[in-house]
Formats: sequence, C-alpha cells, structure tokens
Amino acid sequence: MKKLLAVVAAAAAFSANADTLTVAATPVPHAEILEFVKPQLAKEGVDLKVKVFTDYIQPNVQVAEKRLDANFFQHQPYLDEFNKAKGTNLVSVAGVHLEPLGAYSSKLKKLDELSSGATVVIPNDATNGGRALLLLDKAGVISLKDKTNILSTVKDITGNSKNLKFRELEAATIPRVLTQVDLALINTNYALEAKLNPEKDALVIEGSDSPYVNILVARPDNKESDDMKKLAAALHSPEVKAFITEKYKGAVIPAF
Amino acid sequence: MDALNFFANVDWAEIWLATIDTMIMLFGSLFFTVLLGLPLGVLLFLCGPRQMFEQKGVYALLSLVVNILRSLPFIILLIVMIPITVLITGTSLGVAGAIPPLVVGATPFFARLVETALREVDRGIIEATQSMGATTRQIITNALLPEARPGIFAAITVTAITLVSYTAMAGVVGAGGLGDLAIRFGYQRFQTDVMIVTVVLLLILVQVLQSVGDKLVVHFSRK
Repeated sequence: MKKLLAVVAAAAAFSANADTLTVAATPVPHAEILEFVKPQLAKEGVDLKVKVFTDYIQPNVQVAEKRLDANFFQHQPYLDEFNKAKGTNLVSVAGVHLEPLGAYSSKLKKLDELSSGATVVIPNDATNGGRALLLLDKAGVISLKDKTNILSTVKDITGNSKNLKFRELEAATIPRVLTQVDLALINTNYALEAKLNPEKDALVIEGSDSPYVNILVARPDNKESDDMKKLAAALHSPEVKAFITEKYKGAVIPAF
Repeated sequence: MDALNFFANVDWAEIWLATIDTMIMLFGSLFFTVLLGLPLGVLLFLCGPRQMFEQKGVYALLSLVVNILRSLPFIILLIVMIPITVLITGTSLGVAGAIPPLVVGATPFFARLVETALREVDRGIIEATQSMGATTRQIITNALLPEARPGIFAAITVTAITLVSYTAMAGVVGAGGLGDLAIRFGYQRFQTDVMIVTVVLLLILVQVLQSVGDKLVVHFSRK
C-alpha cells in the first residue's frame, strides 16, 4: 500500500511539474478560442488542457477548489456576483472578447412590430436575465425601476406598455422555442450553436460599450504564474484577433 | 430577529405558485401515466416468457422501446420532444409543455413496475380462473388485476414520487415548480433560505404521497 501511494504521489508531482494548464470553458466560442492557442502554447512549453462545461457554476467552483487552474466563460459582473455569493476571490487575468446578447424572432422583423400581449422569453439565471431586461429597457420596449441594476428581474419592470408576457427559461433552451414565442433574448454562444447569425438575425443587440467582456479567470495564487502569463499573452495575440474576427464574423468581438 | 431575516429572500407568493405548478404537473402526468402505463404493463406481462401469450418477438420489441425511453436522461427527453409536445398541447412552454415529456418519461417505468406486480400474482389463481372457462378479458379484469392491486398501488406510489423529482427539470422549459425554484434561486443564486423552504415542501409532498400509497396498499391487501 505504501509503495503504491509513493508511486501515485510521484506521478502526481511529475505531472504537476510538466507545465500543464487545465482551463474550463464553455463550448462556443471559448473552448474554440482556447483550442486555437493550444499549438502556440505547446511550442512555448505549456500543455493546455481544455475541459468543456455547459454550466455556469462548476467552472468557478472547481477553480476555487484548486481542481482546475483557470476558466474562461464569464464576464466581470457575473464573476463579482459569484465571488460575493460564494465568498471566493477569483480574479480576472485577461479580457478576451465580447459576445453581445441579442433579441431574436422568427415572427418579427422589427421590435416595434411587437403586438400587445406578445410573449418574450429571457434567460432564467440572475445575470443573463438582468442583462436581457437591460437591453430591452435600452431599446425602449420596457422600463426598469433601476436601469443600472444588472440583477434586475421581471418584478422590476415599471413600464410595460405592450403588456408583454415574460417567460424565463434556461438560456440554452431558448433557441429551441424560437418558433413558439414572439421575441427571444439569446446569449451569442447559444445563438451561434443554434446557427443563428447575431449580425443579421438579431432585432437588437448589445453594443461594444457593454461591460460584459468575457474574461480568463484564475486564483490570486496562480494568476501571475509563468504559464498563466503565457496563456494571457497568447489570447491577446494578433492571430487570435484575426481568428475571432474571421470565424465569428462580428458575432463575437475581440476586446483587446 | 435573525430568524425573520433568514427568510428574507423567500417570496411566499412565488412559493405558492410554484407549489401549484408542481401539483398540476405531478397529478396531470400521473393520471396519464397510469392510463397508458397500466395497459402497457399488462401487455408486457402477457407477452412475457412463460406467460399466457408468450410472444418472444412482440415482447422483445416492447421491451426495447421501453428500455430506450427509460435510458434517455429526462432533460434530453424534454428537449427532444419539443416538436411532439407542441403537436399535443400547442406549446412546449410552461406546465402544459412539461406534461407530455413527464408522461413519456414515467410510463415505461410504471409499465415495468406493473409487469413485476403482475408476475407476483399467484399462478394458481390464474389457472383456476382459466379452468372455469373464463375469457382472456375476464381473467385480466376479474382475477389478474384485482389480485395485483397492492402491487399496482405500490407501483403508482413509487412512480408518483419519481415524477416529483422529474418535475424539478421542468424549469428548463419554463414550467416553474418547487424544484425549479430550488435550482434557480437555491443553487444558482445561492439563496439558502429558498432552497430550504422548497426542499422542506417537497419533503412534505413526498411523505404525504408515500403515506397515502402505503394506506392504499394495506387496504387492498386483504390477506
């Protein structure tokens, strides 16, 4: 038993030394961007391992618990809320891109075509729900009690002249019910996966003044490590800028 | 008073609505699950190995369909069934949109439990009824099903409680319910008070279902 433990410990220590960086990411575009920089990092001696998640809690939890080194899926407002609620101190290492949230419809071509009593579907999680409502407020479709509260909920709507009915669904499911509702607020990563084109299909979309830049996140104890610095530098390279612009055609915008 | 502040996040009106949603989803889907699952279970039993209408081919096919439906994770079933749900109820959203997938998810499970309950029935009773010249229908309705009543009520109880946990996923299609609140506010927004309230309510619901079920089983076991 002791010998087995010694061998396992040695193997663990060995793999810790062989510059491996494990990063959690959502599939599109985050994991794709990471896969793009993987060869470059390999040349610099860093073995980048990308772990794909589709949930927005686990990537932060596992980095905080030191089971993963970093994650790449969220923006600063979401990270701030998470740190506050969970008592963690995860930090942003580098801002990479912006995925504007957009409003889509299979029935309407313009926002003012919204009829009375129309159904609007928004994400049911705290940050994205608030973000969706803020976008609608900015577009003049509704009025919110506090236009700066990123955690606004349906209960904070003070002006709803078209008597719109709001339904809250899990963000990933919203593209699938597009044909059943009048307006759907969809995160770009899910829109891209559902083959929607944010540039062409969105009736209204967030501008580049959005605070929702997606960031590479790590812990205070490893954010300055050599490997992390190499990853941050790779993510800010002109090659990545070109990759993002060409592949996502304006649906995802480089933020550097 | 700390105790009062602890429940600050709980919106009792929302909890009440969520409870109603869970009840409608539960009893709505349970009704159709029993309606569809009972005949399916009887069919599975009759075609089964060494049973009255042993039909290896039919049994294998039925078994395969049942197994496939039982293997699908419920959340996948919810999403994959969206076009079918829309055909049946006109929408895949809300409580109405959750019931068809709940029924499709629970019926194969219930049918299997019914099949098991029927297999437990003393063969002597069936043979006695057969020797008295009863038709197949008479055997099923006058001998088989009545004898299997305790097992069937136990199966309904187990299925009902399983459905309660399935309804937690219904939030994905905007159907609400207590499980949805627990996930969205308890888990995603770290509101522990909401989590506690919803879980306690679900606990009470399950306890009541189990108690009623147990009483029904005892009532029908006239041994």
